[in-house]
Amino acid sequence: MPHCNQPKTMRFWGLFRVLVQPQRPQLASQCQFCLTRSRFFSSQPQPDRKNVNIGTIGHVDHGKTTLTAAITKYLHKKGLAKYVPYGEIDKAPEEKARGITINACHVGYSTERRTYAHTDCPGHADYIKNMISGASQMDGAVLVVAATDGQMPQTREHLLLAKQVGVSKIIVYINKTDLVDAEVLELVELEIRELLEDFGFDGAHCPLIFGSALEALEGQDTERGTKSIQKLLDALDSYIPYPERDCKSPFMLPIDNTFSVSGRGTVVVGTLTRGTLKKNAEAELLGFDLSLKTTVSDIQAFKQSLPEVRAGDHVGALVRNVKLKDIKRGMVLCAPKSLKLSNRFKASIYFLTKGEGGRSKPIANKYCQQLFSQTWTVPCRIDLDDDVTMLMPGEYGNVKLTLLWKMVMSPGQQFTVRENNFTVATGIVTETMPDVEVKGKLHLVD
Amino acid sequence: MQLILRNIPRFFHTSTPKALAAEKSALGTLRKKTGYTFTNCKKALEMHSNDIEKAEEWLKQQAQALGWSKATKLEGRQTTQGLIGVAIDNNNGVLVEINCETDFVARNVEFENMVKEAAESCLNYLKNTQKSGNSITKVGLDADQLKTLKASDGKSLADKLALMIGTVGENASLKRAIGIRVNNGIYLTGYAHPSGKATSNILLGRIGSLLAIKNLNPENPKIEELAKGICQHVVGLAPKAIGHIDAKPAENKEEETNLIHQEYLLDDSLTVKELLEENQLEVVDFRRFECGENVEINQ
Repeated sequence: MPHCNQPKTMRFWGLFRVLVQPQRPQLASQCQFCLTRSRFFSSQPQPDRKNVNIGTIGHVDHGKTTLTAAITKYLHKKGLAKYVPYGEIDKAPEEKARGITINACHVGYSTERRTYAHTDCPGHADYIKNMISGASQMDGAVLVVAATDGQMPQTREHLLLAKQVGVSKIIVYINKTDLVDAEVLELVELEIRELLEDFGFDGAHCPLIFGSALEALEGQDTERGTKSIQKLLDALDSYIPYPERDCKSPFMLPIDNTFSVSGRGTVVVGTLTRGTLKKNAEAELLGFDLSLKTTVSDIQAFKQSLPEVRAGDHVGALVRNVKLKDIKRGMVLCAPKSLKLSNRFKASIYFLTKGEGGRSKPIANKYCQQLFSQTWTVPCRIDLDDDVTMLMPGEYGNVKLTLLWKMVMSPGQQFTVRENNFTVATGIVTETMPDVEVKGKLHLVD
Repeated sequence: MQLILRNIPRFFHTSTPKALAAEKSALGTLRKKTGYTFTNCKKALEMHSNDIEKAEEWLKQQAQALGWSKATKLEGRQTTQGLIGVAIDNNNGVLVEINCETDFVARNVEFENMVKEAAESCLNYLKNTQKSGNSITKVGLDADQLKTLKASDGKSLADKLALMIGTVGENASLKRAIGIRVNNGIYLTGYAHPSGKATSNILLGRIGSLLAIKNLNPENPKIEELAKGICQHVVGLAPKAIGHIDAKPAENKEEETNLIHQEYLLDDSLTVKELLEENQLEVVDFRRFECGENVEINQ
């Protein structure tokens, strides 16, 4: 994502105007430039629907693909989707997301309230790569279970996966209900709710829909047929939450750019990822081992000075008593004591295969390279989990990151690792750990 | 709020009576007890007028046949995922590969048990084969040979696999195996990656390797650790041959495929050759299996 990393210098203060539309905060912080540009040049009017990412999980023969095809066919009739036939979904073409090859099929459709990006992958590894590369963060999942079989041994693995990629809301679609009687249906439901509870999902209350994806695909307007699809869509609309912009937490503004305005002082520019920033608020500037106290003496957005701005707004903030040379891109402006600087983090990481431009050899502990995230670059050491001796190219795993300088990284933040100017790994932060003393020598740290 | 209201009736309407239903229902009990699919449990009960014990007995008898019918139905579907099993017993070691359709199944305990069973069967088969005159004997097994091997309970591996296919409902296949027998004086070790937790003497992973190494200095205390390291190196850097001491190393280090000329994985300041010389070791043979790779079975 070099493009997003290096936004052109924007003459922001008083000149630049950014439209702020409903959008995901994490996206906004990473790719403000791309998003704004695409919005400016987009020829189609965008209906004001919220986008939600979902995925299907389940046994290969339980009807995931048929269900997805049935959804698009049903919504196609309503003019809310393009019909994607079974064969096209089933192929699961290889796609490249940030240079990583993932087997995935993405289907888009809308309900009256939302648009859905629906992902279907054939394997565990593909879903994990999807998550790590940030191709799509799943907000919820549809678990498809055939009533004829009930849950299978590997259903446990499917639910473990959902946990691993951060899905907390699951909707169950019991398929092939035309082939069994009511008693079996009751037992299938009971069993699956129990299993969901075992894995920490809300098994007692999650929506569970009985239907036949095949009947729906054939266009039969029955309870099992298209009506079950409508029920599923209603459940998606009501049960899968849309990640609301967080305006209540302490504010946080990763800095894209800095400049000084003569006679006024130093200005930092960025997108407020969370919280509400008010004029005259006490603030801290964190990053690159530094922690500076300051006050936000003026805020500008939409070509004007504003008393307060909220998460999602792209703003410039005038910071008092800070010299331009002391701050740089990659630092974070935040509410005092709300964020912590650290140089050690836990993360999930994927190493690119040689074919994807990655390494040819595996890595072992104490692997030191440049780490890129958001708008900054810092030398970093990567250590594997205790029970892992090496990671081969093409594999993913949990690692500990140790940065040369203390930075702010929050769970969910993405990064890439480059070696000789080639991207060799991409990852996502899962946890901030207490910092360690580095003293400029990464390879010596325990 | 709407959601909560909608869920309350469901809660009252279904959950409570159903909990009771499960205890009362013969179908629920049978399914819970046996884990067979609902359709099969139902059929068994219908045939035995709801007698759970008889139905269970029948299911167990039928399991093999049902597994085979499922296996036949799924035959021909591609299996590219799976596991490598590595088993070592003193002078005998085997590598075995079993494939399945999705990596979800490869992570499931039913599949893991199948691979362990196959590895043990191969190990037993290896122990009963004739040693050749050489210090090292290698036995390769292809899919058809693997199918006829007997598992610990006397059933063939093909039967065992069909049973597992019946349980998970996905295609699976026995791909290949290789066994290495060494004479005393040669040390045999194995490695599987990702290593994970070894629950028995059988290691499971996506890539596995076997290494036979000769100790020229019997006093060498570090043989076990060094052999393990070289075995890991074989997994990590995938050498194609041991390579000749006198042969010239490849010009591009990245493309070196001879084991002894490669940079050692765990310490890239020296080559494997230097490591071996330093510790008076000699690699006799090695084998590496990577799950899903295309290879011909060679003896």
